Order: sequence, then structure tokens, then C-alpha cells
Amino acid sequence: MSPEDFDRLQSLMTSRAGFRLTRDRMKLAEHRLGPVARREGFETVDAMLEALWAKPIASLGWAVIETLLNPETWFRRDRVSFDTFGKELLPALSRARGGQPIKVWSAGCSTGQEAWSLAIAAQEAGIAVEIVATDLSQRALEKARSGAYTGFEIQRGLKAGTMLRWFDQAEDAWIARAELRAMVHFARANLCDAPTDPHRFDIIFCRHVLSDVEPALRGAMLDNLERRLVDDGCLFLGLNEQPENDSIAFRPVAGRKGLFVKSPAALRRVA
Amino acid sequence: MTPKTCLIVDDSRIIRKVARRIVEGLGFEVDEAADGAEALAFCSGLIPEVILLDWSMPVMDGMTFLRRLRTLPGGMAPKVLFCTIETRAERIAEALSAGADDYVMKPFDGEILTSKFAEVGVV
Repeated sequence: MSPEDFDRLQSLMTSRAGFRLTRDRMKLAEHRLGPVARREGFETVDAMLEALWAKPIASLGWAVIETLLNPETWFRRDRVSFDTFGKELLPALSRARGGQPIKVWSAGCSTGQEAWSLAIAAQEAGIAVEIVATDLSQRALEKARSGAYTGFEIQRGLKAGTMLRWFDQAEDAWIARAELRAMVHFARANLCDAPTDPHRFDIIFCRHVLSDVEPALRGAMLDNLERRLVDDGCLFLGLNEQPENDSIAFRPVAGRKGLFVKSPAALRRVA
Repeated sequence: MTPKTCLIVDDSRIIRKVARRIVEGLGFEVDEAADGAEALAFCSGLIPEVILLDWSMPVMDGMTFLRRLRTLPGGMAPKVLFCTIETRAERIAEALSAGADDYVMKPFDGEILTSKFAEVGVV
């Protein structure tokens, strides 16, 4: 892949996905694009990119974009966040909502491990939730919807007892049980797009997404999340992610790494 | 501070070597045993904080070791993680019923082992 091709890929990733494709990922990008080129009928990655630049067909463009996103995720990643969610926030919010289901958004859910982890935490807390899990990648969503994970994937973050309780074994895969499936709705969404409907959530999990977003676009993305969150709701980011430099929409909750609520400025803006 | 200890029980020298590298990376002092009988002898003198335990081994298998360990003075204390090629749900359930704290299916990597150690509360 030429440096010029990589520059164009960087522009494509930023403009369509808000994703920052750093130069140190050039080799990785070439490696990942190989199977896409073969699948799409091209002899080489260079030939595929040449075709894409000559005629930017949307389906090919999105196949390339999806391949270059960062799909890294596992069950109960940053497990302290799931403990806070299941043991503290859900009981408190459920009381505040008079037992109505708590609306949860797994934003940037990749292959679904976060969404299933949230569903398990809610089941174990005995509190009704409605989970919407979204991602930009259709391929990641297909896997998430299948609820099927290899032995390698399932045990990354899940205790064996939890795995046996919530997943059925089928040949080499472990598949999420119907009780979990009934709780999660998967859909495609681009976090860079401003909300066009009034639907809002009580809790948003958007972890390890911000750090891959082009810095200039982070503020707009955080503002979009803020508009999707109810005024007394909570946002979970990755434990080391800080929104303060990019947006005034959220403030950190003291003593709770990775947990944020709407800032006074955001609440005034709503009022 | 004295480092925590982990006993790796596996008849494969290669598995012991791979696991040792990962577990030492988590700050543990590591001892090894090649079967359940060796492991039991070790635990009669010194009870480790964590035991990584294979299922099928010569002389004494992992399940027999686990049952005997739990009857030793202080034998309820260590966190025991089975680490085996047995991946059937029934066998996993059997291991947990016998007193294992968690279960690692081979193949595994450093991230899986680290997350398992975190889930049982030893790191």
C-alpha cells in the first residue's frame, strides 16, 4: 500500500466513521484488507483501493471501513463498571422510575460482549432493562446478533459459572440464552450522526470508542451522547477516557473512574 | 510485601512453562507440580494462594487432587482454577461442584488468564 493510499484511507475513515486511523496502523490495515480484497474479487489490496478511488461504490467503501475499525472487546471489560451498573445504578434508577424498565444503550457495541454483559448484570440484579446495542459495522453486528462465541472469546472476562448459567454449548460455540436475547436489540448507528428522534436512555455505555475518534470530532460525538441521555442519567466511558478536554457536556462522578453525569452547563442548555 | 504464590499443576512441561511466564507477569511466585500427588505433597507443607490445575494427569488426576486438597488444614483457602482441554459443559459444572473457583479452557492466552485471576479476586 502506498503512503498516498493510506492518506486516502485516513480521510475516508475520518469523514465516514469519525475514526482516527493512525499511521502506526498502516501494516495492520494492509493485513486486514487482504481478505476483503479477495472476498470482493480483487487480486491485491492495491487493485481494490485503485478501484475504490476510481469509483467510490458505497458497499465496497463500507466493507473497507468496517475492516479498519477497532473491534477489540470482551465480556465485563473494566469489570468495576459492570459492578457499579448492576449493584448500584440499576437498583437506584429502578426505584426512581417506579419499577419501569431502565433504558440502556451500548454505543459502539462491536461484537456484542458488552451488551450481553449488561443483560447478565441486570438479570442478576433482578431489574428489568431494555438494552439497545449499536455499532457502525454490520459484520460486527451480525456476530453480536448471533450471540455465539468461541471458547476463547467466551472465557475472556466471564467466570465459568456465569458462562454455564447464561450460555448454551453447541459444538464449538457458546450461545446466549433466550432470556438474554429477549433483552437486547441490535441496530446499526453512526455515533457521529446527531439524533433525529427524541428517544433517550437512562444509562449509556460508550467505552473505548472515544479514544479511537478523530480528536476534532470528539466534542460533537459527546454532545450527541448527551442529547441521548436523560437529565439524571449516567454515561460510562473507558476507565482511562476523559471527555473534559473535548466537551463541556459531562462531568466526572467523584471517586468513580469512568462514570460521568451531565454537567451543569449541559443541564442549563436543556432548560 | 511477600509475593503471592501460584502452584501450576500440569503433566505437560510446555504448558507449565507457558503458564509460568503469564502468572509471573502478574507478580506471583510460581511453583510447579507434574501431577496431583506431587501437588498434594506440596500443599501439605505450604498452601499457595492460587492453584492452576490440569484435569487428566498420571498418578493422580486433578479432580482427585481437588477433593483431597479441600480436606487439608487450610485447604479451602486457595483459589483453584481448572485449566484443561475438557470443554464440555457437564465437566465444567462437575469441576465447579467439586470446589473449583473457576475454569479455563485450553487453549488460553495471557489475557484470558489475567481476566480469570481478576474475576476470582487474586489480582
